[in-house]
Amino acid sequence: MATDRSYTKIQELTYELKVRDAMVGNVATVSPGQPIRDLRDLMRKRRISGAPVVENGRVVGVISIEDYIKCLAQGEMDVPVAERMTGRVETLYADEPLVHAVRKFDQYGFGRFPVVERDSRELVGIITKGNIIRCLLRKLEIEYREEEIHQYRASHIFEDIVADRTNLVLKYDIAGGDFDRAGESASRLKKALHRLGIEPGVLRRIAIAAFEAEMNVIVFTDGGQLAASVCSERVTVTATDSGPGIADIEQAMQPSFSTAPDWVRELGFGAGMGLCNIKNCTDAMNLASEVGRGTTLEAVVYLGRGKAGMEPEAADARA
Amino acid sequence: MTLEEIGQTIEAEVLTGQDRLRDEVAVGCAADLMSDVLAFARSDAILLTGLANRQVIYTADVAGISAVCIIRGKKPDQPTVELARQKGQVLMTTRLPMFVCCGRLFAKGLPGLGYLDISKGDGDR
Amino acid sequence: MKLGEVVARLGLELVGQTGRLDREVTGGYASDLLSDVMANAREGNVWVTLQIHQNVVAVATLKELAGIIIVNGRKPEPEVLAKAEQEGVPVMLTGMPAFEVAGRLYETGIRGNAK
Repeated sequence: MATDRSYTKIQELTYELKVRDAMVGNVATVSPGQPIRDLRDLMRKRRISGAPVVENGRVVGVISIEDYIKCLAQGEMDVPVAERMTGRVETLYADEPLVHAVRKFDQYGFGRFPVVERDSRELVGIITKGNIIRCLLRKLEIEYREEEIHQYRASHIFEDIVADRTNLVLKYDIAGGDFDRAGESASRLKKALHRLGIEPGVLRRIAIAAFEAEMNVIVFTDGGQLAASVCSERVTVTATDSGPGIADIEQAMQPSFSTAPDWVRELGFGAGMGLCNIKNCTDAMNLASEVGRGTTLEAVVYLGRGKAGMEPEAADARA
Repeated sequence: MTLEEIGQTIEAEVLTGQDRLRDEVAVGCAADLMSDVLAFARSDAILLTGLANRQVIYTADVAGISAVCIIRGKKPDQPTVELARQKGQVLMTTRLPMFVCCGRLFAKGLPGLGYLDISKGDGDR
Repeated sequence: MKLGEVVARLGLELVGQTGRLDREVTGGYASDLLSDVMANAREGNVWVTLQIHQNVVAVATLKELAGIIIVNGRKPEPEVLAKAEQEGVPVMLTGMPAFEVAGRLYETGIRGNAK
């Protein structure tokens, strides 16, 4: 659920972000000896509704617009700030996680908290609920933008690039006999196609076909190439090599038929299921081979719908 | 069943993805042949295998499986562990044999994949 | 537990060879790696595998296993079954995957090999 995810995301952010990230610095302050009347200009000019009272760099109280209004009503404009301020001040440390600030607002019901450095107790900023909300929104927006850039969709490419037909080809070289790296090309291809926004169920089928094809090239040949050609409606995976070729393709396609050596079996491959797997997970497959010349395997997966012959819903349910 | 419960049930040591042990898996899948994993496994499965090579990680990655337990006391080498970490997989090892792992997990209620037919294949499930 | 009871309880399809169903199953072993079975399976074990290669019969014979359960709906070639028949190795087939077969065998009380 998208709402659940963004809710959790905000929770995460309140732990990740610090009070320092959300507070406003360069705080307007008053000293305890100043008369209340001084507040009028300060609040009007700075558009604030309260200010910390600071003596020798330390916060000794908070004075708010409510205090000012009371004094105004009683004609006490020359009373020093110290006599009308709230003396017992709750502060936040600049290095506390934002979630502490959220809790403190809940607990005290105050409109603002002065922010001080943990060590020096020196006033460095002030924070309101509005500051917290703005900070979270800003952060979410940045993350959203990053995510959007990250998940740039294949469909965007095909919409943005104006041509009658667009075709993106990804190629990977496969070293024959290099079993250690077997699977690397298919894995890289999967990642690349994921970046292009191919839907997971379809992506999985393409990756499986590519993996089996890559495995065949590594186990049976001196090397070759794996390629994926992507256009708006389908992905075509092609594996080519230059030998030794398959003598009897029909036989090679039989489930469990295998000419793999024992060492390959002991490594978990070569049970004769590779070509069947490719055929079963793609929409079309073509295998062409000439003994002594090489083999070309081509497999097609259509985008935006289930496997050929299957209802899309059924395919989704199984994905 | 959570990966944590699974780990405890089969006495596994967690090598990567310690932060994801509260993730749930729905089915168990036991195989030493990777083509069968590709043909049948679902992305919500934990793969139990006696292989400890990098191809296990690649196979799981390609099949969209994010939890792998290497059984029979085989230890993957460092590049394999690193690869699992890169691919965001939870990788565990246990000294227990396959039969015992399946038996204990099944007894705790983790189901298998149900009836399969290799001749029809099932690459798109 | 006798092999015949295992066949009945799990609903396995027995191919050929019915002679040795009264054999006591000493434990279960699940593996698709022949070298591993050679090293670690014990006499009288029932072997759960998806391998249908000719060599499985040879391994089962050498290790004197009680029988082979082939999973995932796989069917060995007739030559492999003929060899099993000839060697007196019971071969059982099922559409269940190895995980579930091992799970159900365990449920019936069959255990793995103690270290």
